[in-house]
Amino acid sequence: MALNLKNPQVETRDQRLGTITQWDGRADQLVRDSAFTYGCSKGCDNGGRRLCEQSSPFQQASMCAEHIAVTNATIIQESVVVQHAPIGCAASQSFTARYYRDLAARRGWTLEDPKSICTNLGEQDMVFGGVERLEQTIRDAFERHQPRVIFVATSCATGIIGDDVDGAAKRVEDEIGIPVVTLHCEGFKSKHWSSGWDVIEHGILRRLVPHAPQRQPDLINVIHLGGPDVFSPLLGPLGLRVNLVMGGNTLERLAQMSEAAATVTMCFVLSYLATGLEQEFGVPEVKAPLPYGLDATDNWLRDIARLTGNDDKVEAVIAGERARIAPELARLRKALTGKRGFVAAGAAFAHGLLADLRELGVEVDSAFSFHHDPTTDSGDPKQDSLGHLVDVWGDVPNYTVSPDQHFQAHAALQRARPDFVICRHSGTMAVLAGRMGIPVLPIFYSNDGLGYEGLLTIGRAILRVLPRKRFYDDVAANSSFPYQSWWLAQTDPYAPIAEPA
Amino acid sequence: MLSPVTDNLDASGTFCSSPGAIEQVRYGCSLGALASVIAIPGAVPITHCGPGCATKQFHALSGINAYQGGEFHVPSSNIGNQEVIFGGADRLDELIRSTLKVMQADLFVVQSGCVPGLVGDDVGSVVRSYQRQGVPIVFAETSGYRGNNFTGHETIIRAIIDQFVDANDAPLQHGLVNVWSLLPYQNPFWRGDLTEIKRILEGIGLEVNILFGPASAGVEEWRAIQRAQFNLVLSPWLGLATAAHLEDLYGQPFLHVPTIPIGAKATSAFLRQVVDFAGLDRERAEAFITQEEREYYVYLRDFASFYAGCTSQYRLPSTAIVVSESAYNLAVASFLVEQLGLNPGPMVISENPPVDFRETIQKQYRSLADGAGNEAVFEQDGHRIHDLIRQADLTGELPIVFGSTWEAALADAIGAPLVEIGYPCTDEVVLSRAYVGYRGALALIERTYTTVVRASTMG
Repeated sequence: MALNLKNPQVETRDQRLGTITQWDGRADQLVRDSAFTYGCSKGCDNGGRRLCEQSSPFQQASMCAEHIAVTNATIIQESVVVQHAPIGCAASQSFTARYYRDLAARRGWTLEDPKSICTNLGEQDMVFGGVERLEQTIRDAFERHQPRVIFVATSCATGIIGDDVDGAAKRVEDEIGIPVVTLHCEGFKSKHWSSGWDVIEHGILRRLVPHAPQRQPDLINVIHLGGPDVFSPLLGPLGLRVNLVMGGNTLERLAQMSEAAATVTMCFVLSYLATGLEQEFGVPEVKAPLPYGLDATDNWLRDIARLTGNDDKVEAVIAGERARIAPELARLRKALTGKRGFVAAGAAFAHGLLADLRELGVEVDSAFSFHHDPTTDSGDPKQDSLGHLVDVWGDVPNYTVSPDQHFQAHAALQRARPDFVICRHSGTMAVLAGRMGIPVLPIFYSNDGLGYEGLLTIGRAILRVLPRKRFYDDVAANSSFPYQSWWLAQTDPYAPIAEPA
Repeated sequence: MLSPVTDNLDASGTFCSSPGAIEQVRYGCSLGALASVIAIPGAVPITHCGPGCATKQFHALSGINAYQGGEFHVPSSNIGNQEVIFGGADRLDELIRSTLKVMQADLFVVQSGCVPGLVGDDVGSVVRSYQRQGVPIVFAETSGYRGNNFTGHETIIRAIIDQFVDANDAPLQHGLVNVWSLLPYQNPFWRGDLTEIKRILEGIGLEVNILFGPASAGVEEWRAIQRAQFNLVLSPWLGLATAAHLEDLYGQPFLHVPTIPIGAKATSAFLRQVVDFAGLDRERAEAFITQEEREYYVYLRDFASFYAGCTSQYRLPSTAIVVSESAYNLAVASFLVEQLGLNPGPMVISENPPVDFRETIQKQYRSLADGAGNEAVFEQDGHRIHDLIRQADLTGELPIVFGSTWEAALADAIGAPLVEIGYPCTDEVVLSRAYVGYRGALALIERTYTTVVRASTMG
């Protein structure tokens, strides 16, 4: 179904993709069930059904779409983000500032704090509306920092009281002459935080990418979650220049997305932007499975080469890269073979890490994904990353979908008893694993596992954390979790909690 | 129920008004008081709010703020469309019921966020049905638009006192004190500081309900609140509403000491004030003070050789700029000015204290340096804070900044070293370090002058 870029509000992924957040079972079962939602190309003719989802009466604090949307707007250079919200939503500012400064150091940008302002709505605003305060804050943002774009993010509170945020943005935009882009990201509207990616990508597509572009045949958009540029070394030898977007951009990079020869997305959770670029600007999206593991990386490069007319160079690049990493890969495989791993991350990224671990010789029969998209925006089954994983590397017998629920993660780890955990969104999972006596590798920058070099990066990082078992065992033996003992012994993340009515 | 300290009402006297837009936020929202609940050993908050609220508050106040950690397994209703449209009281009921099956705690504190406040969930009646069954559970309305984590802190305390601490005929225990001081997690050093405060009060013969942190016995201390001889409010304003409430409820008197003591001079004076108020054994107290001072001044004597002599090549700061919530601002400013002999530079108080308390706070600043002290400025917007510091006349002075991570760029710009003392504090890892009392003062000196030396030697 085509993306609707006319409306300032993005359709949530719950609606577009049938995203679920609660499930437990065999990965191959989830693949099969997911295929029913997009139909024939996986060999079944009855698409359009929704996935069955589990539920639990008990839930723990999760994350919201606003956090993702605001973080990723804030790290766009020369922007100011106005959070139209009570003060609590702006608690993420200090985290975002740390993130931006770290990115800046790694990517060679000016070291400074990103700019964001919260309208700090009070009870009075809840009663009488906060539009006036919003307009004044947008003006202040412009006066203070002379940004080239201002983002205005909504909140649960403004969504409920019904402030006309688009109207306010338009009025001030006409006054100050720079784009004021609204981000409708009320946390209650989607059951998964990854909808926040859609919100910011929707805003970018609608407002920051010009039409009627000049094509640049050697430019390739790389949409990533954030972190260092590990792509140029891989794609440069194919004669391609990398336009690295999301996870911190300049406005120029965003603007030239429509000029590129192709787009690759490094995590299909972010595929809204690539699909939109193809739909609106005819920039083709590379749909090959993501480059996790040797064969997948080969095929990914081949697909890019084909789309950009560089078939003649690609085999040499592949052969060269494989030869380059072979000795170190052999050393890592030797050190890791027989180790048992556990992956906890968001959907496509989790699937990628699972492939990496298996390529490294690690046994991994359990995974924990923070949500599951039965399809992607393109609807192309080549982007079925879980299906691809199961086809190439075999089933994952214990596959849990849970929005970072600590109590469920505890049960899943009790069931798996791995030698180490590799995870993203390090808040809940990392400390949980550590305190259960399991060494943990938290991944902040998701590019770490990509391509040939990614195997080395991940393998080395695992070896660095394994000795910490000595520390974690000590902590585990001398601390406890505030759960009832029956739950602490539980190995089924979705074990029934309430008695039947 | 309005927060007992909510005083920023609009002209109609009905609704709390906002103090205006904020860049570089320096506190959480009322719901952020879930950190105070987590700070009570054995207590677990249950949050009725949107899916990201609780995580965002705790990650900000603990996770990225001096990397404090803490038991964050917070049950949450993670409100979605359905609860917004149809109301969320049933969902909360289901959450509480399942929480009681899964989690183990001595006390549950149900906190509501913005959404239930706006859609009108009757959270109180849901919680009361559990209270009637004898479940140790209380309810605090902590809508984010109603206040910040400071006012939320007093709201949860009041909820616990009113709904959990039994009013009974328990005998008054002479020499037992309840301490109301630093805001847990907001202040990165609260654990070490509360431990030091407890240690010195015990040193002069008191038994101490410190109530929060590793030095607290947990929920049983809260049950013993009513037995205390008196309440000690050791902060410029936070805790006063609680103490006044306890005075009303139980007739407990309270002692208010606005400046948390740092260093021997201030700490000894403070302890003598407590001895007088509580009618404690002076001899015993003086013996403790003497012992503490003997040790403290050995270190201070040795520090003098650095401060006086070995420093000609370093740029020893002469003026202190302090940007912080009022409790640490006043404590640190007093120590730097009164005991280390720095000049008072701009002092900015950033937590938006209730207007009624501001004059009391200003009096403390005016009396610094034999009455030469400047008034503090009350400002929560980072942009304006930095503007006013840049405009300060520092001719001939070598400034040092005590502030938050937000002051890093400012400190660079004015050529001053930065010591992080408050939220957000992203460049310090803090566990048990204290900056108050006798021992804390020495740690503060160490941190300050290590920073100064490194700024001089490492550029």
